[in-house]
Amino acid sequence: MSEDLLLELRDLSVSIVGKKETLPIVKGIDLHIPRGSIVGLVGESGCGKSMTAKSINNILPPFARVTGGSIIWRTEASGEVDLALLKEKEMRKKCGTEIAMVFQEPMTSLNPLMQVGEQIKEVLTIHGVERDNKKAKDRVIEMLSKVGIAEPALRYNAWPHELSGGMRQRVMIAMAMICQPKLLIADEPTTALDVTIEAQILSLIKELCRNNSMSALVITHNMGVVSTLCDYVYVMYLGSVVESAPVKELFNNPCHPYTRGLLSSIPHVGDNPEFLHTIPGNVPDMKKHFKGCDFCLRCSDDIKQCFFEKPALTETGAGHFVRCHRSLGA
Amino acid sequence: MQTLISARNIKKSFRIGRKKRFLAVNDVSLDIFKGETLALVGESGSGKSTLAKLLMRLIKADEGSIAFEGQEIEELSEKEMLPFRREMQLVFQDPASSLDPRMNVRDIIAEPLETWKVYDSREKTDERIMELLDMVELKEDSLKRYPRQFSGGQRQRISIARAIAVNPKLLVCDESVSALDVCVQAQILNLLKKLKQEMDLTCLFISHDLSVVSFIADRVCVMKDGEICETAPGEKLFKSPEHEYTRYLLSSIPGQ
Repeated sequence: MSEDLLLELRDLSVSIVGKKETLPIVKGIDLHIPRGSIVGLVGESGCGKSMTAKSINNILPPFARVTGGSIIWRTEASGEVDLALLKEKEMRKKCGTEIAMVFQEPMTSLNPLMQVGEQIKEVLTIHGVERDNKKAKDRVIEMLSKVGIAEPALRYNAWPHELSGGMRQRVMIAMAMICQPKLLIADEPTTALDVTIEAQILSLIKELCRNNSMSALVITHNMGVVSTLCDYVYVMYLGSVVESAPVKELFNNPCHPYTRGLLSSIPHVGDNPEFLHTIPGNVPDMKKHFKGCDFCLRCSDDIKQCFFEKPALTETGAGHFVRCHRSLGA
Repeated sequence: MQTLISARNIKKSFRIGRKKRFLAVNDVSLDIFKGETLALVGESGSGKSTLAKLLMRLIKADEGSIAFEGQEIEELSEKEMLPFRREMQLVFQDPASSLDPRMNVRDIIAEPLETWKVYDSREKTDERIMELLDMVELKEDSLKRYPRQFSGGQRQRISIARAIAVNPKLLVCDESVSALDVCVQAQILNLLKKLKQEMDLTCLFISHDLSVVSFIADRVCVMKDGEICETAPGEKLFKSPEHEYTRYLLSSIPGQ
């Protein structure tokens, strides 16, 4: 099984390192991305999902550091590599060519002073994939048409401000895909977009993954996005994975009270409840250490054990893992 | 049912470049009834926010007429407009940038009360502020704190408290829950629904999220390219959409 995994996070921890104290923000998570599948990572803001993604290609902000665990990257060419131990120079070679990233806000991630075609071409020339200027340009234009931009040759010379939000996100995806990476990390790729454009971008990502046998890690807080796009889902709460399951299983049989809370707080077209279900309380302060379950203060069916003992991630069904005392029949 | 605002054939265009004009709102007629929540949906650039600004007369329409409780407000001067300003309040999308970072919560909520001289003493104003905090479910110790010390959801509660402080007749929510997480979004939506029932508010709710709209709205207006293509009661619109564009929008919701 483990040969099929493209990326494996083993007991990964990320902390904010200060002068006096270190504050763990990702607390030992295990995450598997099999070849050719789309994996989702969901959770509220501040639960550490973006930090997990950023640790993969080593673009953590300067105050954060990987403090434990390993990031195993498996390819035919280089075998097994721990990305956490790579030097920056070696990592830079992998970023863009093997691992690519798409961010949430397409306006701030594009250079406003550079034509979009040139920006995409830069990826090719910097990585030395295509040194010939003309051939590189042709490849960019081909990529632009692949991501569904009409009149790609004309758009090559467009400036970012001339494009709409959806078009900019398509340019970002083109830029990420141009070197045919093995893994695409998409951090909230559609949050800033309209529903109609969102649907287009999601089907684009899905199609590109299928056609290029690419894997993807999609970070989002939108459960609707997860259900249309992903094969397998990890739910994070306060720096650790509380539940993970194949997407259908998660939606049909959510076991962790947090997952259930997340799912039932989304309004649905068609059913009109008087009020929406909400999870009581707020996300607790990460600075406070608590020996019990992280969720027990907001949980509706907590038991005594929850306050004294951290539950372990346990398999309850085929590929379905839950971190909750209740799900073990306690 | 009584109408609170009725707009007839309003048009608004903006200048782009030297000679071109962009028609943002094209010949729109719209009624908002008292006590209802009317939702405006559509993609970005469809003119929803412009229409809301026109209805509140924050910008002037090129053509057409707008009446608030039967009185024409389109041609009023700024000074004549003043009494109407109190009756319409806004809650914006981004609570971080719509609250003054240098004012504490008391001052933020007190500002509209003091501007309109609702109460003649500070004690009465403070009493009202406590009542408002209770309504938006914030703790009493929030009074002396600053916006940066609150989470996104709590900040949005402060904006709502500020907006309803002077008992307006119309509350306009421009993408008020779009920047929030799902759980927090659910809390704020519940709060808005509760307030609406308690205060008998009329609400104009602008959003691009159709599932949110289906929860909160009594009637829905679908906008595209500056025109209204369909207006229908919420349930009917989601069950049997008539306009092609509405059907397209509904089919785009992920995970439905």
